[in-house]
This record gives sequence, C-alpha cells and structure tokens, in this order.
Amino acid sequence: MSKAASTQAARRRGPMSRDGLTAWLLVAPAVLCIIVLFIVPIGYVLLLSVTDPTVSLDHYRRFFTVPLYANVMVNTFRTSLIVTLACLAFGYPLAYVMARRTDAVAVIFLVAVGLSFWTGFVVRTYAWLVILGNKGPVAATYALAGWGKPPQLLFTSFSSTLGMTHVLLPYMVLALHGVMRKIDPSYMRAAEGLGARSFGAFRLVFLPLSLPGVVNGCVLVFTMCLGFYITPILLGTPKDMMISQLISQQIEDLLAWGFASAIAVVLLASTLVLLGVYNRFAGLDRLWG
Amino acid sequence: MARHVPLLLASLAAIFLVAPMAIIVPMSFSKAISFEFPPPGYWTGYYAQYFSSHSWLEATANSFIIAFGSMALTLIAALPAAFGFVRYRFYGKSVLNLVMMLPIIVPAVVSALGYYSFLSPLRLVGTHAGMIIAHSVLSIPVAFLVIAAALKGFDRNLERAAMSAGAGPLRTFLWVTLPVLRPGILVGALFAFLHSFNEAVVAIFIAGRDASTLPKKMFESIRLESDPVIAVVSTLLTGAVLLGVLISLFFRQRPAQG
Repeated sequence: MSKAASTQAARRRGPMSRDGLTAWLLVAPAVLCIIVLFIVPIGYVLLLSVTDPTVSLDHYRRFFTVPLYANVMVNTFRTSLIVTLACLAFGYPLAYVMARRTDAVAVIFLVAVGLSFWTGFVVRTYAWLVILGNKGPVAATYALAGWGKPPQLLFTSFSSTLGMTHVLLPYMVLALHGVMRKIDPSYMRAAEGLGARSFGAFRLVFLPLSLPGVVNGCVLVFTMCLGFYITPILLGTPKDMMISQLISQQIEDLLAWGFASAIAVVLLASTLVLLGVYNRFAGLDRLWG
Repeated sequence: MARHVPLLLASLAAIFLVAPMAIIVPMSFSKAISFEFPPPGYWTGYYAQYFSSHSWLEATANSFIIAFGSMALTLIAALPAAFGFVRYRFYGKSVLNLVMMLPIIVPAVVSALGYYSFLSPLRLVGTHAGMIIAHSVLSIPVAFLVIAAALKGFDRNLERAAMSAGAGPLRTFLWVTLPVLRPGILVGALFAFLHSFNEAVVAIFIAGRDASTLPKKMFESIRLESDPVIAVVSTLLTGAVLLGVLISLFFRQRPAQG
C-alpha cells in the first residue's frame, strides 16, 4: 500500500500512469481506513482465537468436536434457511405488486417497506416482545375467545424466527424490487398478446427475468441471518441457540473471549465462503443493487 | 378472482411489516408498567419521563453526536473513493473494490468483537471517539455505493462543455460536477447517518456507559428492566422515520410530475 508501490503499479500501465496515480490517491483514504480500522481489528479476533488464554488451536478443536456446538451450527443454518424462504414467500408478491403497479397502492407499499427498512432492529424486535408476550394481543385474543392460556410463544425458536423474518423482509423486498422494476412491462403485454394467460405470462416471462433478484435477496437475507445478533438474543431461547447467542453467552456469562473469538471466526468464514461463491458467479457489486 | 391473488398476498405482507410497529404507538401512551396490550389505561406520563430522564436524553444526544461525526468522516473517505472507482481504471481495482465492501459483509458481532479488542488498548472503549471511528468505517461502503451509483449516472458531457467554455478543472468540479451530484451525495450522507444512528451491535460492545447510544440503551433496558419508556422512544423513532420516508417520497414524486 506504500506510495512507491502505487507509483510502480501506475508505471506498469504505461500511458495510464498519471491516471493510475490519481486514482490511487482518490481511493487511498477509504481503503486505508478500512485496512487499518477494520481489517486490523478483525485480525485481533483471529489472533485472540488462537492465543487466549494460551497459544493453541484448542478452541477450534472444541467447537468442531463437542456435539452441542455442532447443534448450534446446524440450528443457525436451518433457521437462516427458514427465515430466507419465509422472506421470499412474503417478499415476492409484495415486490411484484410494487413493480407492476404505478398507482397509490404501489406508493403505500413503498412507504411500508421504507418505514420498516429505516427503523432500527431493536425497535422492531421490541414490537414482537409486546405482541407475543404473556400480556400481549395474542394472549388477549386467546382469553377473549375462551381458549385459555396461549402456548409459550416468546423466547422460543418460533418467536426468534418470526422476528427475524419481520426484520429482514424489507431487505428481501428491496433486492427483488431492484431487479423487477427493470423488467420492461411490454414483455408481459407481448406474452399476453401472443395468447399466454396472465399466469402463463408470469411464469414464462416475469419469473425467469426476476430470478437474479431472488438470488440476490436470498443471499443477502441468508448471510445477514447467519450472524444476526439483536433479534435471536432478545426473542430466542438458549435451548435452540444460534451462533450469535453462543458468542454472547460465552462473553457475558463466561468471559471466554478466546472461545468467543474462535466462534466468531467460524461465523466469518461461513459468511465469506457463501459470498465468495456468489461473487464468483454474479459479482459482489450486484448484491446491493 | 385469480387476478387479485398477488395484491392480496402483497397486502398481507405489508400488514405483516407495518402492524407490529403500529402497536408500539398505543403502547407508548399506556399506563402499564410492563409490556401489556391492550393497555389498561392511557396517559402521557412516560413521555414526560423520557423528556426528564437524564440517561435517556444523554443516550439520545450521544446517538446524534456519533451519527453526525461518523457521517462527516464517512463522506470525506467515500466521496473521493467513488470518483476513483467509477472514473478510473487502475491496478488492483477489483480486489480493492472487495475491500471497500468488507464492513457490510462481515457480521456485526464479529466486527464488534474486533473493535473491542482493538480499541481497549487504545483506551477508546466507552468514548465518543471510539464509536465515531467504528461507525464511520462501517458506513463507508453504504455511502460509497450510493454516491458511486449517482456518479455512474452522471453525464460527463456537462464537464466537457464547461471545460471547453474555458473553466479549469477545479472550477468545473465546484460549479458543475458537485451541484449535479448533490442529491446523490446528500442521500449517501443520510444513509451513513442512519446507519450509525440505528447501529446496535458494535455499540453494545464498545459504547460503554459514557457513549451509550439509543439502540444500546434500548437493548439493555429490554433485557434488564423492561422500562416502559422504551415504547415512547420507539414511537418517536418510528415517527421520525415515517416523516423522513414521506418527505423523500414527496421530493421523488415532484420531478416526475413536472
């Protein structure tokens, strides 16, 4: 990253040399910030995972051999998959209507998505604590209908999955919408003009064209869900832990920073592998539209 | 009938998104001490409590200070970077482009652990400076993506016209490029601000007591004491976001009509 290296790199491009240098100077502040103030701190996590309390790979050995931790991994991936599919099921029709209509309905949906996208995770998770709590509207409905006490909803893997679906849904919708709004409406009209029924036109024309958005949304939601912290901790249960809950437990209850760091490294590696595959096929730039 | 199926499903999804947040509003006027819905009675007492609570007001002030500070630093780094990446081809570009995205790729809890170990030896845990450093780095990709997108849509003929009319590069930049890009830069700044304002996980790990932000304070209040003021703060935040969304919609619709 030294200046000498950048000049040399620029010189190698021959006639581009001055441009190359200008470009490096322009990107240098951001890139250096991220290297010194982001990659180095992540390096600390890596270091801590093999040095705290002693230099060894014991934390990783323990993580991959104790069945409890394997369960946490399986549970994390399974929950992330469920949340992703639920977001897709809710998000696809919503994004479809937003992309196909230009009337007030589309605007109302846009406001709904925008409002939830920009409201913090903590606020939206808090809403579910109220709704599912034992004095909440669900319990009140049960009492009103004379069904007695509702089942335990809060602090279960159900409430945590539901909460995460709610919190991550806007990301899915925006990823889908980003691709869908670029689909030319005349394609659908052409298909219908050529005799396709409206569902046929959707299945043969719109659906295939929207698939890149489906991939983007699913990758985005799945990777966000893998390491999700706030919602599983506030709504979930220690019985069906996700990775983030395990990390939080190791730090808060046991002060086991080394082991927590090792788990964090495993989480980071899982995320990077997934996004690496995506990058290989689609190019990471497209993930955020 | 079948024609209305998408609209029906979409409406259900929209209700699923908004209804839980709508419940917070009556909750904030509730007399109940713990989470209770429907509320046993209404008053504005918890609003008064929020506006007279030192710790809640301090967290609010901290949130604003940290979000403004990191927004400024983020822009200083992201704006030139957007020009570099969009307008130039240079050695190492594709790798550096991935480096630029790292702060939004790495799970927040991993970054939080890293910042805690990195900032404690520097005695920056629990300080505004530490929070501003962490949040500005985390916001760089967010602002960068928005500004780079605006820059890609910029018509460079405008600059060529200014240059051929005798304006130097600096004049062209200040009088042509910057004004045309202003909406994109403002949106980038707003995204950076909100990214910091809403960020909870890194704050939970490194903000300590002195630089505690609203999301951190809310998270801890929910876990420890279920303070009813949380509903008030949530309502105020949601209201502010709704106002912001409506304003941005208003500005977005205007050029289309004109």
